[in-house]
Amino acid sequence: MEKQNRRSFLKTSALIGAVATGISTKTANAKPKNILSEDRMGVLVDTTVCIGCRNCEWACKVAHNIPTEDRIKYEDRSVFKHMRRPQPNAYTVVNEYPNPKNAVLPTDVKVQCMHCDHPACVSACIVGAISKEENGSVIWDTKKCIGCRYCMVACPFQIPSFDYDKPLNPEIRKCDFCFERTKQGLLPACVKNCPVEALTYGPRNDLIKEARERIKRDPDRYLNHIYGETEAGGTSWLYLANQDFSKLAFPSPGDKPMPGTSESIQHGIFAYFVPPAFLYALLGGIMWITKKRNESK
Amino acid sequence: MNKKILTIIILFFSITIYSQNKLPKNHSLTNLTCKTCHTCDVPTKKNPCLVPCPRSEMVTINQSPDQAPEVEVLKELSSRYMPVVFSHKLHAQMSQMSGGCGTCHHYNTVGPIQPCINCHETSRKRADISKPDLEAAYHRQCINCHREWSHSNDCTSCHALKNKNESISIASYVKKMTGKSHPALVEPKKIVYETNYNKGKIVTFFHNEHINLFGAKCIDCHRDENCTKCHDKNKTTNVQQIYSDVPIKIHKSKEEHHKPCFSCHQDDKCSLCHKDKSMAPFNHAISTGWALNRFHENLTCEKCHGSSTKFVKLNNDCNNCHKDFVAGKFDHKVTGLKLSENHKDLDCNECHKEKNFTKTPTCENCHDDKSFPKDKPGTEVNISSKKKK
Repeated sequence: MEKQNRRSFLKTSALIGAVATGISTKTANAKPKNILSEDRMGVLVDTTVCIGCRNCEWACKVAHNIPTEDRIKYEDRSVFKHMRRPQPNAYTVVNEYPNPKNAVLPTDVKVQCMHCDHPACVSACIVGAISKEENGSVIWDTKKCIGCRYCMVACPFQIPSFDYDKPLNPEIRKCDFCFERTKQGLLPACVKNCPVEALTYGPRNDLIKEARERIKRDPDRYLNHIYGETEAGGTSWLYLANQDFSKLAFPSPGDKPMPGTSESIQHGIFAYFVPPAFLYALLGGIMWITKKRNESK
Repeated sequence: MNKKILTIIILFFSITIYSQNKLPKNHSLTNLTCKTCHTCDVPTKKNPCLVPCPRSEMVTINQSPDQAPEVEVLKELSSRYMPVVFSHKLHAQMSQMSGGCGTCHHYNTVGPIQPCINCHETSRKRADISKPDLEAAYHRQCINCHREWSHSNDCTSCHALKNKNESISIASYVKKMTGKSHPALVEPKKIVYETNYNKGKIVTFFHNEHINLFGAKCIDCHRDENCTKCHDKNKTTNVQQIYSDVPIKIHKSKEEHHKPCFSCHQDDKCSLCHKDKSMAPFNHAISTGWALNRFHENLTCEKCHGSSTKFVKLNNDCNNCHKDFVAGKFDHKVTGLKLSENHKDLDCNECHKEKNFTKTPTCENCHDDKSFPKDKPGTEVNISSKKKK
């Protein structure tokens, strides 16, 4: 698939401009030009296996050249007292929740970009800085990003975070599914470093099969729900848990792709330029009536 | 000539039929149907058509912890850390109260015990994602128990960081671990439960009696015990609670509380255990009217009453067990009274009426003017000093 470059950005701008001036009747298709490959990769996160060691947090920082503390510092479990969100300097974080089945073994949940099949951030980005790659990764281009933060608003999982420290070089940051590593045939850093393989990397379709198999084999251990299979139209990262996902701070974005909703509103307003034309006509009419009334006085 | 050919033909067929029916040497002799392991009708060596893992129906481990290897050095994956010296036997002993060898050697098929590496691949990047890789397999087996009792994920309790003298320190670790056995368990004497049962709130469980007298094995009740029941760095309450007389409020479901008892007590009345106040220890004299003497009190119930699940009631006749206790052969000295020459060869019935040894013996069969214990048919001997011998 073709990545959006400067030229295609200008093309898109021209098209939007044409639509705005009402010359063209065709709406701009802001839906990403993403081809969903059958073999696209994903990760199955088994929260019943995760031990909350936070090795993934450490490995992620090392892989992305983010300054980090020594690995031994990550054994500190006091960080779980407060819920954390991904940040510009931490693309993934682990949170801890009570486990109803065993009070001494809490449930740990790794949070990062879900890499949606139909990403709302790609749809919302006005400069085309974010793109969905064929292998499933949703990556972003720092050079194009203008820091408008539309993606932050659009994301149903509230993942993209904004680096406020550089006013002249604003930057949105999030998990890139280790795009540079997987290109070279390496595993994502978090998957590679998980001591219990709570993160299983593989083709998304195989992961769904495997997840179903695990639920079937051990129905007492798992809730019969693969989070991400249909949520927000499907995501590359999938989750298994032993309790309701809402208790683990997972949102319920519905089964429809997010861009479908946002784009229909966005585009509906300007569809065929009818609503603006109608609005102008209405205002013009009122003006004309008022003027006439004044004249007759 | 014809005879020879016929013999050869018969021999050929008999061998063929025999080899068709005989299973290979290492093949399971356990009572299984072919379909438990094979999907096709005629499995061959080239195409055994085994059912996919995990084959939970055929898990069998008959080995005991004492047969287990003492120490295992897990070195397949050591890169950042040194190989792990795993006290295999010690862990096998601990597992006996919670699932046994099968806890880690899950899905072990019939035959020898398989090490983890036989099924779990060493590479994380692999085509078959249905099983965790070896690193994950090891960690998943170890970490949950270790987490439960230490409440942390510290790597260094099992892994030492790499150093130059690796071979020396591994050898010293192995030496340290070899010959280690799990320390003897601290057994509670009795546990008093406070239940919600109206007709008898208090249940007194004499743990010591069930082990020492009734012959119960640990595994009979402790089938699925959690490591933290004994091993927990944060609390010491367990043992102390067990030793106190203060009733423990029940905290599990009715079924769960009764489960370990019901394997033996399923036919007993509720009132056998459920009382209004805590029970006194089992007393053979009170319960059966037969006081146990210094010999009998050291025996387990099974010795006289048969199997531990169903005890058989006995009468007072010594000959139930002691077939050779007949007049003249029984050494009456052991009771503390050495019979005089006149009394030595008398039948037991003469003094012990109807062979009822719990009642006071009588002299009236022969003597009108004598009575036991004022008069004795012999001399008293000190039994406590005899016992020491």
